[in-house]
Amino acid sequence: MECNGCEFHSELYYDSEYQIWLRREHDDSLTVGMTDISQTIAGKILHVRVRRPGTVREPGKPVATIESGKWAGPIPNFIHCVIVEGNIEVLENPVLLNSDPYNAWIARVEASAGVDAALDTFLTGDAAHEGYCRRAREEDIHCQRKVR
Amino acid sequence: MADNMDHYLDNDEKTVVILMTSGPSTPHRCATPFYLGAIMASMDVEVHVFFTMEGVRLMQRGVAESFAAMEGGKKIIDFIRDAKRAGVTLHVCQPALPGYKIDEDNDLIDEVDEVSRASVLADLVLRSDNVITF
Repeated sequence: MECNGCEFHSELYYDSEYQIWLRREHDDSLTVGMTDISQTIAGKILHVRVRRPGTVREPGKPVATIESGKWAGPIPNFIHCVIVEGNIEVLENPVLLNSDPYNAWIARVEASAGVDAALDTFLTGDAAHEGYCRRAREEDIHCQRKVR
Repeated sequence: MADNMDHYLDNDEKTVVILMTSGPSTPHRCATPFYLGAIMASMDVEVHVFFTMEGVRLMQRGVAESFAAMEGGKKIIDFIRDAKRAGVTLHVCQPALPGYKIDEDNDLIDEVDEVSRASVLADLVLRSDNVITF
């Protein structure tokens, strides 16, 4: 599925601004990544660093930092969680976030209060699709996934 | 776990003050402070940018929207907004405003957090771990 060329996956979970996605893994951990909208806004990503595994993150405390040529900032975090690992492929080749944002996960975390409680606060399915498309349209965001 | 731990962040929480004295007359000096501030705030650093001297002009309505650090580059206001979104606090030096004919009630952009006296800067400097001047 796409909106303005921005790829969307209805099975994933999204924050209300569609900055990040979460995927529930078989072991009930959560993988965290950037949406196509986010990677497009950031531009070519040059550097990613994830909080050290084992670190406790409260809501509002980022799981990672991102640098591109024109943007620097956090990968936001909305849940109480513990960092399990970073995606070494992405950490060593950050531009994967631009070319393949939904496979290039950034970090894997464990939700402190359980995965169900954590995901309750995110959008998924049709509701997420509607909001995602609305943001792309309203802000006139046209996504590009080619390596710039 | 990855072998290369350089990819992982493990810094303590600290406080940093960025003292911003540069303004529109030196545009090439006006983006980096916000970029650096945004990175540090993303690393759990408590970041305060204190605008004084010509730096206060960046907080005047219409100024940061009007120019970029490099020709054709991203506007300074967008660097400021990125820093704000990352959690940076913006202070404007109250004693510097009259010299630039800036009215603190009507002329400042919405991104300003505090209009602060010099004593606030003194307190910030004395309690911070690092001070960076641009």
